[in-house]
Amino acid sequence: MAGVSTRRLRGRLACQDGFSLSEVMVASGILATGLVTVAQLFAVSTDANRVARRTSTATILAEQKIEQLRALTWGFDPLGLPTSDFSTSVAVSPPQATGGTGLSASPPDTLTTSTTGFADYLDAYGNWIGTGAVTPSGTVFVRRWSIEPLPTNPNNTLIFQVMVTRIGQPTAAGPAVRLPDIVRMVSVKTRKAT
Amino acid sequence: MMRDSGGAAGFTLFEMLIAMTIMLFVVAGVFSVFNPSQGAFQAQPEVSDMQQRLRMGVDTLHKDLVMAGAGTYSGAAVGTLTAFFAPILPYRVGTQASDPASGVFFRSDAISIMYVPTTASQCSIRDQMPQPSSEVKVNAQPGCPARDPLCGFEQGMRVLIFDDTGSWDTFTITNVQSDALHLQHRDDTFSKAYGPGAIITQVSMHTYWLRSDVQSSQFQLMHYDGYRTDEPVVDNVVGFETAYLGESEPPVLHKPVTDPVGPWTTYGPKPPAMGVDNRSDSWGAGENCAFMVDPASGAQVPRLAQLGPPGSLAALAPSQLTDGPWCPDGANPNRYDADLLRIRQIRVRLRVQTGEPALRGPAGTLYTRGGQGQAGDRLVPDQEIRFDVSPRNLNLGR
Repeated sequence: MAGVSTRRLRGRLACQDGFSLSEVMVASGILATGLVTVAQLFAVSTDANRVARRTSTATILAEQKIEQLRALTWGFDPLGLPTSDFSTSVAVSPPQATGGTGLSASPPDTLTTSTTGFADYLDAYGNWIGTGAVTPSGTVFVRRWSIEPLPTNPNNTLIFQVMVTRIGQPTAAGPAVRLPDIVRMVSVKTRKAT
Repeated sequence: MMRDSGGAAGFTLFEMLIAMTIMLFVVAGVFSVFNPSQGAFQAQPEVSDMQQRLRMGVDTLHKDLVMAGAGTYSGAAVGTLTAFFAPILPYRVGTQASDPASGVFFRSDAISIMYVPTTASQCSIRDQMPQPSSEVKVNAQPGCPARDPLCGFEQGMRVLIFDDTGSWDTFTITNVQSDALHLQHRDDTFSKAYGPGAIITQVSMHTYWLRSDVQSSQFQLMHYDGYRTDEPVVDNVVGFETAYLGESEPPVLHKPVTDPVGPWTTYGPKPPAMGVDNRSDSWGAGENCAFMVDPASGAQVPRLAQLGPPGSLAALAPSQLTDGPWCPDGANPNRYDADLLRIRQIRVRLRVQTGEPALRGPAGTLYTRGGQGQAGDRLVPDQEIRFDVSPRNLNLGR
């Protein structure tokens, strides 16, 4: 029995010519391409993690500025007259009572261009490192904000917008260039009757 | 047998060499991807897990810190808690392992905050308590059914009591006698016997602190509810640090304290009227922890110092927050430094590490707690974030 099966096996082998060099090269080329693609997936997943972290940090930083703006004085005094903070500078850390514009309406385009008083710069951990129109070195996040009176109730209601971008990203706010890790937050604040 | 296999020509040495070389390159290629991919498989889930924990920690802290100081909004007193006492304390307070009980009044790795949640349970005391431990007789709440005049309060509720002298206490209701308008608190004795007019309200009380237990290697951000429960919020937290920014101006009186309607001060508890001594504290007549009587002018003037230009926020050093003057006075078991009333912004640093020591390198800038990690592609450095919280209810002008 063993002899028969050996003979059969040899007979089958004899019919085959093996692979040519070019066939082997093509096969290993395909294999290599596959491997490189799979290897790239790891880089992609690592990068996705990094982007996720950046977006989380940017969201926290945007939230922080919104809350800071919301905490400024914007109400009525005991006599019922409006009291507003138009002088605090929130672009510096810690915030200063003077030298800023508080809750005054911001000039146009403060979300797209860094404007003194409406932009600050942060490092990768979220530490404040500067303000003004020029980006200091070490900046990772650029945070810009705008304060607009609500057109239908300009004296009592404000719209806050905060946009946090990574340095080097396009700055125009339009939907065409919005990248997934650009964070933009909007909030509304109204004078509260006491 | 040789003849049988004669159909197959076999390989020449040259063919074999080429085949083996190709084979070698292919296998080398496979392994060069295999090894780092194993590292990525280990490291990347850890990275995203750390980010998740960091985000969770920030969310939890922000949610509570931003509410700190929110006060009662119906009943006898309305407005932020900073008009009465300090709702943000840089240490652990509560029934168990309270820091002030062991003489600690500042920790950079612990913070306690209090605020009044959305609640129907807000009322005031009717009669003077004879003893700090006696039951509390309160006024009926407005808007309750006839047979149930304390409709909001119930057994087990965590409750805050405070008055205009700067005193505060928290307790858990052990029994409600609704018809008699009595609240019992067997587990907690108050710092003093409160008088009529003191406010009682449901409270949301939170202490966040860092557990750093090297022995059992437990590094956790912990939450304590001020009563009996300590529970972990985030695992593998190796850094939790708070710093405080405060109003640079001291509290100022902006209307006579005899005026029936508050708020009388820009912040902080109002002093008693001139010539009136509050016998429950050790300050003189017309004085409290935030105000004193100026001997020259005879007027009530701030006791605290000006720290910077008016209206700006100044960094509050730990020494400033532990040097007094103490509210309501230096002997009260629930005393707090009057400078804590200044706090307007909280700066938090939170740092997490991977729980797997094999993925951490030697202790240093990247790793707070060193691990056994060697290979570069299998190392996951600690992640850290710093953020500021401006609590919404501390600026009276809002």
